[in-house]
Amino acid sequence: MRRSVTPVIVTVGVLLFFYLPVAVLVLNSFNASRFGGEWTGFTFDWYRRLWRAREIWEALGNTMLIATLATAVSTVIGTTAAFALDRYRSRLQDAHYLLVYAPLVVPEILMGMSLLLFFVALRLQLGYLTIVLSHVTFCVSYVTMVVLGRLQDFDWGLVEAAQDLGADAWTTARRVVLPLLAPGIAAGALLAFTLSVDDFVITFFVAGPGTTTLPLRIYSMIKHGSPPLINALSTLMLVLTVATVWLSQRLLEEKP
Amino acid sequence: MTRRHAWIAAALAALVLAGCAKQGPKTLHVYTWADYIKPEVVQRFERENGCKIVIDTFDSNEAMYAKLKAGAAGYDIVTPSSYMVAIMAQQGMLLDLDRAKLPNLVNVDPEYLKIALDPQMVHSVPYMLTNTGFAYLKSKVKDVEPTWAVFDRGDLKGRMTMLNDMRETIGAALKSLGYSLNTIDDRELEQARDVVIRWKKNLAKFESEQYKSGIASGEFLLVHGYSGDILQARSENPDVTFLAPREGLSVACDDLVILKGARAADLAHRFINFLHDPGVAAENSVFISYLCPNAAAFPRLPAEFRDDPAVRLDPAVQAKCEVIRDLGPDNVKYTRVWDQIKAAP
Repeated sequence: MRRSVTPVIVTVGVLLFFYLPVAVLVLNSFNASRFGGEWTGFTFDWYRRLWRAREIWEALGNTMLIATLATAVSTVIGTTAAFALDRYRSRLQDAHYLLVYAPLVVPEILMGMSLLLFFVALRLQLGYLTIVLSHVTFCVSYVTMVVLGRLQDFDWGLVEAAQDLGADAWTTARRVVLPLLAPGIAAGALLAFTLSVDDFVITFFVAGPGTTTLPLRIYSMIKHGSPPLINALSTLMLVLTVATVWLSQRLLEEKP
Repeated sequence: MTRRHAWIAAALAALVLAGCAKQGPKTLHVYTWADYIKPEVVQRFERENGCKIVIDTFDSNEAMYAKLKAGAAGYDIVTPSSYMVAIMAQQGMLLDLDRAKLPNLVNVDPEYLKIALDPQMVHSVPYMLTNTGFAYLKSKVKDVEPTWAVFDRGDLKGRMTMLNDMRETIGAALKSLGYSLNTIDDRELEQARDVVIRWKKNLAKFESEQYKSGIASGEFLLVHGYSGDILQARSENPDVTFLAPREGLSVACDDLVILKGARAADLAHRFINFLHDPGVAAENSVFISYLCPNAAAFPRLPAEFRDDPAVRLDPAVQAKCEVIRDLGPDNVKYTRVWDQIKAAP
């Protein structure tokens, strides 16, 4: 029987759809033209200028710090919330589920504005703390949903078996539950990290003096700045991401 | 025990001493557009005043306003555009400037102040000017006069663009007719509408972003645009030439203002004064390619920069220029005319 070519065409089409813009971006980071409309020559100039752009690196540092903190906090809260939602059923839990679910559908601008008004009412100084709190607020929902998905096909019999064999609660959690849930928790944490790094709208409102993050910086560069610097930075981040993924896959493979 | 007491006493003394040595806050928070102050200028001010400047950036006047209005605090100096300064002043968000602390303001260009929205500099000091004219490719288009009437040229049909911005484009038509670009007179606006509809037949499109690469690559031959953008396009293609129409044009200015409740108000005054030092103003202008309206700085600018119409307008033309102001409820008149223009064939 002849194989159909449709899957191949669809696959190639999807891959192009996903990666062509990225390829254009990478290519333009080496383009001497600042508009990127046409190719006017190969250059490393944007990378050299990026290297000297102190504010971009500061913004990147802010972003990484905030994303790391927000991910750590929201992963812990989100995982415990998922446990609570999975283990106990009551009308109060329905309300709990709704509250966790709501941030996924609330428009970002609404959330940003209301968080800002809230922090101002509390007389909280805008800065790292308010950004991390806001990021935790929306990241928790994503982590909870991902971990909850993982819990749905979790075999609680294993926990009972561990307890039968004399493991205390702490040992059960550490040696049985966490390893089984680890992929879900890791996926949730990665999602939270990505969302935190990406976020513009909410961060814009709750950022304070001295805490401009990378997305804020990039948007503000549109008026006077140079998009090619951003192309160069994106290319570097892309290389870093691909390298990390490749490395983690290698590490996982070598496990027995 | 006594040793521990001694330590505590020493720590307290250190705290008290630190408190005394500290005269007011030593950090100045500036909220501005990206790449809008030369880094070396910032470093010099930090060195001379023993302070630290923290710069944060915003990407639109409206977003910045929404954030500050909601109560975001901690910023000392902000650089909104003039029309937004007027709104913020009306809302009581700005500190009245202490002129005694700003001796360098005598340098501010009196010609610009004639058209400024805050000519007395009560709460704002002009920082950087841009103007909206048109650019063309010198080698490909012959006999171009600095007048808005170029958009009537049939030989450039389909190779010209105008800004997709109602105030700028209707404003250009109003200027071509000799009216104010802040007019709220219905008859004048109708005449301007008919002019834009006539021009529209010659335009490729209304375009506010892609025209920069379009003129640099030769896709368009003549484009209506902001001087800052056109200077960028010219750095790609030296054939791009900017002209300031003699009927007058719109000038935009970003102003330096101090927010009410600024913690470092004194340092903020010093920084504004520093930015209007002629040497600093000239250096800063050249770095960001906009003109700081500081008359004492003009002679210090490199000649080709100073005499470039994309940077500095001829005084006779500048006298006919205007700053677009927010018209409040009358904005709807422009929206209506703009809709009619967009709907016209």
